[in-house]
Amino acid sequence: MLTLRDTSPAPSPARPRPRRQASERRPFRDNPLLIVVGIALLVTALAATLTFGSRSSRFSPDFLTEFVLYALSAADLAMILALVFVLARNILKLMVERRRGLPFARFRSKLVGVLLGMTLIPSVLVLFVGSELIRTNLDRWFNAPMEEIVASANRTAGDYYRERQKLVSDTSQRIALALAPLGFPDADVTRVFEVIKPEVAPLRTSMVEVYRVVLGRGPRPDVSAVAEVRVPSFPPDYNRVSADRLAERVASGSAETHGFEPLGGGGELLRSAAPVRGRDGRLAGVVVASDYLTGEMADRSRRMTDAYEQYSKLKVLKSNMFGVYISFFLMVTLMILVGATWIGFYLAKRITRPIQMLAAAARDIGAGHLDHRLEPETSDEFGALVEAFNAMTGELSNSRQDLERSAQDLQRQHQEVEARRRYIETVLERITTGVVSVDAAGRVTTINSAAARLLGLQGAGAGQPVADLLGRTDLSLLLALVEGARGGAQDPPAQEIALAHDGREVHLAAAATRLHGEGGATEGTVLVFDDITPLIRAQKVAAWREVARRLAHEIKNPLTPIQLCAERLARHFQSAPPPTRALVEECTKTIVGEVESLKGLVDEFSQFARMPAPKRIPTNLPTLLADTLALYVGLFREVKIDTLAPPDMPLVRVDPEQIRRVVINLVDNAIEAMERKGQIVIEVQHAAVERVARIIVADNGPGIPASEREKLFMPYYSTKRRGSGLGLAIVRRIIAEHGGSIDAADNVPRGTRFIVELPV
Amino acid sequence: MMKPLLAGVLLPLVASLVLLAAMGGPVRAANEVDLQVKLLAKDGHVQVSFTLTHGFTSELQAAIRSGLTATIAYETELRRGGTLWFDRTLATATVTATARYDNLTRQHQLSRTVDGRGEEPRLTEDEEQVREWMTVFKQLPLFSTKQLEENAEYYVRVRARTRPRVNWLLFWPWEHGAPTGEARFTLIQ
Repeated sequence: MLTLRDTSPAPSPARPRPRRQASERRPFRDNPLLIVVGIALLVTALAATLTFGSRSSRFSPDFLTEFVLYALSAADLAMILALVFVLARNILKLMVERRRGLPFARFRSKLVGVLLGMTLIPSVLVLFVGSELIRTNLDRWFNAPMEEIVASANRTAGDYYRERQKLVSDTSQRIALALAPLGFPDADVTRVFEVIKPEVAPLRTSMVEVYRVVLGRGPRPDVSAVAEVRVPSFPPDYNRVSADRLAERVASGSAETHGFEPLGGGGELLRSAAPVRGRDGRLAGVVVASDYLTGEMADRSRRMTDAYEQYSKLKVLKSNMFGVYISFFLMVTLMILVGATWIGFYLAKRITRPIQMLAAAARDIGAGHLDHRLEPETSDEFGALVEAFNAMTGELSNSRQDLERSAQDLQRQHQEVEARRRYIETVLERITTGVVSVDAAGRVTTINSAAARLLGLQGAGAGQPVADLLGRTDLSLLLALVEGARGGAQDPPAQEIALAHDGREVHLAAAATRLHGEGGATEGTVLVFDDITPLIRAQKVAAWREVARRLAHEIKNPLTPIQLCAERLARHFQSAPPPTRALVEECTKTIVGEVESLKGLVDEFSQFARMPAPKRIPTNLPTLLADTLALYVGLFREVKIDTLAPPDMPLVRVDPEQIRRVVINLVDNAIEAMERKGQIVIEVQHAAVERVARIIVADNGPGIPASEREKLFMPYYSTKRRGSGLGLAIVRRIIAEHGGSIDAADNVPRGTRFIVELPV
Repeated sequence: MMKPLLAGVLLPLVASLVLLAAMGGPVRAANEVDLQVKLLAKDGHVQVSFTLTHGFTSELQAAIRSGLTATIAYETELRRGGTLWFDRTLATATVTATARYDNLTRQHQLSRTVDGRGEEPRLTEDEEQVREWMTVFKQLPLFSTKQLEENAEYYVRVRARTRPRVNWLLFWPWEHGAPTGEARFTLIQ
């Protein structure tokens, strides 16, 4: 039989439950020695009960009715109570277990039911059949022929005794009558012997005793033996006490004249007494005649009577005997039932408990408590099952530990990779270099915001084919670069690629590089490109500044002699004829005017070439704007200038004079573009996140085509008839010297917006 | 599971117990036997006379004829009633009458004891005398009047127990329906 111990650490999987202490008492159901002792006691009790029951017919009636029946009934009631208790307790437990939905409760109920049925039905049947058998046997004991036989034997013995008694009685009365004339109590003893001797003979009267009775001497008559005659065969151990007592009773007037005296050596004396009357008719003596029944005769008669009495006693106590047997039988049945019931529940529990524990352990293990262990206490199949279970649990525990270690390694690696990815992503997002990575299948895996911004790819994302991403016409060179890297044997050389989108020309320095895996296989391509437009612009500006410087130097030097010569010519031809003088004056005036114009132009060139470094001080832009715009008050009646500025605009470190020049330049351009009629809105903004301050100058003029916007900031580009083309170039340079940027865009609904961004 | 268990186990068990109880034997009617008690306070004693009518039953006669020693024990109690508490027992006495029949000599040996003190046994062949010996008792001076209060009401209760018991009830060995009689008296000096 299996016994299991749950050694699992149920509350905490990390802490094993302590093993049971050696001093802890073992439950009865788990102690084979106690079970064997219990079964032995039960068998002993059954054997004792059966032995006791088989001897019940020999019990005395009082013992039978006053002890045995009480004890048996009490035992039966105790057994019934025990059975009811065991049944009720276990049935309630089963019901509770089933209601709680405990595992194997239904199976246990069925098992117990089957075991109980297998025990109860035969037991009850045996009880009924046995009861009927007992009743039938008892009835058979007391059948009519048997009763007739024992009654006849008893009558025969009784009749024999009565006949001998009557003979003795007749003898005693005859002798009493014969002795009366002798004059008792003073009769001659010799004559008494003469009277009684003839009466004493074998097969008639074995002994005659004569007593003298003297009345009046006390409360009781004085009785004394006078004569005694016996046959020679009379038993030598005869004691006369019983004869004396009988004589005294008769002398006292008792009606009891008969008596029986069993003898120690066997045999029996039948006595009969008769009063002897004196001459006055008063009681004067007593004759006691005795008949000796030999031992064999008396014994035979007594046995016949005993047999009858035994039979009659059993018949009288028939219902009691039946009760005793039924009680015995019921007790045995109840003992078997109680034992079988208990064993049934015990077996059910013993069978299901290990399975329940295994199921509970499996649930516990399923919940993650892999330290759960069961302690096998037997080496049978259940023990092997438990060992296998524990081995499985151990392997699971080891596997889980390995998995946990692997998971921790993976998690650590994942964290490292993730950190690296975040780092790279951050770098990619922060750098101004555009990066597009393509996998081996030609799908974009990465595209940073700089790439999307530079390429004008709004909404572009990973996963789409690179051919689609760079499918635009102006991006064809980039696509060709990528394809060249993917398909070629070597990485293609870096290229400078000019793109034009949104009316702007963007210069990119692009390079495509293949990505190699561990085995050297190509895993993809990465396209890297930098916006070199500012660099190009700076190069152009530097070139133009050099040109301007040289122009200023080369042009300005001859201007003064030209002007002086023209003025000399004009003075020289003061005295010339009027037509000549007029012509000369007109020409010299033109020359001087153009020279002055060229001087102005050269001055602007010089200024452009020698732009001083800004002297930055904290400046309140709205105040600066207000002061600057105050110059326009009243100048242009049909131009409306509005300003917008936040109240909490922070101070910006700028050169106020240069920024004032920027604003004047932009406002002048706007007024010129609107042909001095329209509205200009100048707005100051603070982008705290981007840490920039914006100055937006918007007009509602005709606007600037997108294709012309990039050229706006190029030197010597002007849409005005008399413009030098250096205004916006200087503006851009000032803004660039401040670390900011300037851009032009369409105004809504019409016009142009110049957006100046200055770092805060 | 419970229904089959009830139907298969408990109901047959209860049915079998009821059936076995029904097989136990006849139950004696309570009104067959009557115990009449008469009292007389005389010579410093409460003299108790009682007669067990119909107490010498055929079962008892059969038991006697079978040679069993038959005994009727009369447990007498002198009690005083209480209004607020249980009645108080002042004295008790047990009178037993025993008869034993010898089928060989066809004689009954009769004896009586009062609280264990016996009289000289008697022999008789008359069964009527046996019946009277066992059931009729006259003026037994069982209790002294010295301890009794004047003008107080007392009663004597007598309960007869017959042995051997031959009317055993299955599963209920305890005696039931023992005849009881009582008589009340007021002591007037």
